[in-house]
Amino acid sequence: MPALGLGPLMLLMGLVLGPGASLTAQAPPASESRELLVLAASSLSDVLPAIASAWEGQGGRPVRFSFDATSRLAPQAVAGAQADVFVSADAQWVHWLEDRAATRGAARAVAKNELVVVVPRGSTGPSQAGDLERFGRVALAGENVPAGRYARAALASSGVWDNLRDRVISGGSVRSVLEWVARGEVPVGVVYRTDAVAEPAVTVAFAFDEDTHPPIDYWAVPLAASPDAEAARAFVNFMTGSEAARLFLAARFSLPAAPTLQTMSARAEVPEATLPSVGSAVRLSLLIAFAATLIGLVPAVGLGWLLARRDFRGKALVSTAVLAPLVMPPVVTGFLLLSVLGTQAPLGRVLSSLGLPVPFTILGATIAALIVGLPLYVLSARGAFEAVDPLYEELSWTLGVPPRQTFFRISLPLALPGVAAGAILAFARALGEFGATVVVAGNIEGSTRTIALAVYTLLESPSGRETTWVLVGASVALSLGALLGFEMLSRRQRRRMEDDRGR
Amino acid sequence: MVGDRFGGWTMDVTLPLSARDLRLTLRTGSSRVGIVGPSGAGKSTLLRVLAGVERRALGRLVVDSEVWLDSEAGISLPPWERKVGWVPQEPSLFPHLTVLENLAYSGSPLDRVREVAARLEVEVLLDRRPRRLSGGERQRVALGRALLSAPRLLLLDEPFSALDRPLRVKLAREVRSWSTEHEVPLVLVSHDEEDTENLADERWHLVEGVLELSPSHQPRGSDSPT
Repeated sequence: MPALGLGPLMLLMGLVLGPGASLTAQAPPASESRELLVLAASSLSDVLPAIASAWEGQGGRPVRFSFDATSRLAPQAVAGAQADVFVSADAQWVHWLEDRAATRGAARAVAKNELVVVVPRGSTGPSQAGDLERFGRVALAGENVPAGRYARAALASSGVWDNLRDRVISGGSVRSVLEWVARGEVPVGVVYRTDAVAEPAVTVAFAFDEDTHPPIDYWAVPLAASPDAEAARAFVNFMTGSEAARLFLAARFSLPAAPTLQTMSARAEVPEATLPSVGSAVRLSLLIAFAATLIGLVPAVGLGWLLARRDFRGKALVSTAVLAPLVMPPVVTGFLLLSVLGTQAPLGRVLSSLGLPVPFTILGATIAALIVGLPLYVLSARGAFEAVDPLYEELSWTLGVPPRQTFFRISLPLALPGVAAGAILAFARALGEFGATVVVAGNIEGSTRTIALAVYTLLESPSGRETTWVLVGASVALSLGALLGFEMLSRRQRRRMEDDRGR
Repeated sequence: MVGDRFGGWTMDVTLPLSARDLRLTLRTGSSRVGIVGPSGAGKSTLLRVLAGVERRALGRLVVDSEVWLDSEAGISLPPWERKVGWVPQEPSLFPHLTVLENLAYSGSPLDRVREVAARLEVEVLLDRRPRRLSGGERQRVALGRALLSAPRLLLLDEPFSALDRPLRVKLAREVRSWSTEHEVPLVLVSHDEEDTENLADERWHLVEGVLELSPSHQPRGSDSPT
């Protein structure tokens, strides 16, 4: 696909990933005081700022960073982000940029990382790849994130990939792998050494031999879009200098043997990645959204009625707790859910002993979708109950019908269109759910990889753009269809309430 | 005669309202009481207290020697056990039900529903929804719904306000004879003295939060139609 064709897709990605992703789209015009903008792999987010302040200490331009997965940064660089330098965790994405004439000059290797197996602190880990099978599940970063690809390559060349393939829990990033292992949700995980040493709750069990996977080199390259090529090249050079080397070593990186990209081997050999299937993603999304909507009906109606009609102590607290997922970042919601429902948490332990484990299952995805959708559900139901004139309920009582029956004969039927509208909103929200799902349920093809997760996975992959469009289309159609239904039902609710008022 | 059976009612109730407390004190042996007062005097509130839907009411209410409210003793008979036929000022038919379903809401058999519908001249409207009724039709259906619930006390709040004069007189006569036939006592509130003339045997005035037996009230023969 030509570079230009990525424009709309990148815009879409900006929408999907939130403002952080498109932060780099506008850069100040070139001038003497201009900062350098460096797009860099997330795993460098601790060490690069230290290197930048050393650089600034020697009179270099101030440096600003945008840290993200390499796979998300590279398309941004092509899409016209006015960035100066790109630091990749992966040579492939540098090639990808070179193919699109987005770089200026040679890439230089600046540091090197190691791939290690981690276990929860205090537990006994495997001492070599052959032992991994005994540990049940293995957490890896996503197959399109460099760390995930290296891990798969290492397992493949150690001869254990075929046995482990079905037990892999795929996370989005190295960070989520660390989180799962730290909590004991997954007994072992494969991450970079630098990330492992930064997480106190895990221990390194062993490191993979360097020859089992493509070299994990960080490559820095000046970008063609840079308004100041000279400064960009100077900063790349500084990252390969002795001061930077000292800081890289202090952060447990090692130094690369190959100074330039020419000596790098051809494209890395990585086991075939499972590309997301459209059918499975759409089916899963619908199934999870329907299940969440159905399970949420009784709590939403109950809470909506309670908040609309009753005054009780702690009402503000209940209301706040229910609405919290609306304003909290979904990843935070997912993190909290994992803390409550993880197999190591008390409630989660009960559930898994009942044969209902939550993490990495469709149940987990459904619960995540339910919790993030519930605020809209409850708000809508509450509004519908509030719109029912209490006089109808009071009249029903005086006609000899006690409150419980009055609820089913008067309140609920009158509020029904509003409740249904809430159900549709919750359904639509569940369809779009991403952040909490990826934390609680992972990104597992055929089991928790919904449309949102499939699109996310595909966006990080240099291949599969066509599939992305199909899924994007499906997602847009389903969401807009749901919202249209919501609009129609809200109108009906308003009409129903106006009906008998025109005296 | 209704009055022979009905033991009357006494009310001594205070409502803590934001502006000022409303105190409603009344003692009557009459089975057809009219209460007249300007709007905002608390007439509708008085009916709500009788119906049992006014939760703020404090004090004591005894109807036909049964204690409905005694806040000191912690007694408050819930509305579904009081069985009053309440017709609020706003007719408030259940908007999602047809006229027939509204009339039969309290579980009356169909032939009774048809009979009452005929007496109130709403028989042709049975299949309609409330939104397709005129104001007067709504008031009649609301009255019918209250009558069909076999009430022990009928509470009428400006029941004829949306009706023209001939129908108003005719309907008042209808309610009066119903009240006699079925021995159902009633309380009617209105800003219009004439409504109470047609229906009530005893008239009270509610002015500035004080209830007073009307000096002009003249007891009438309760069995003879007006």
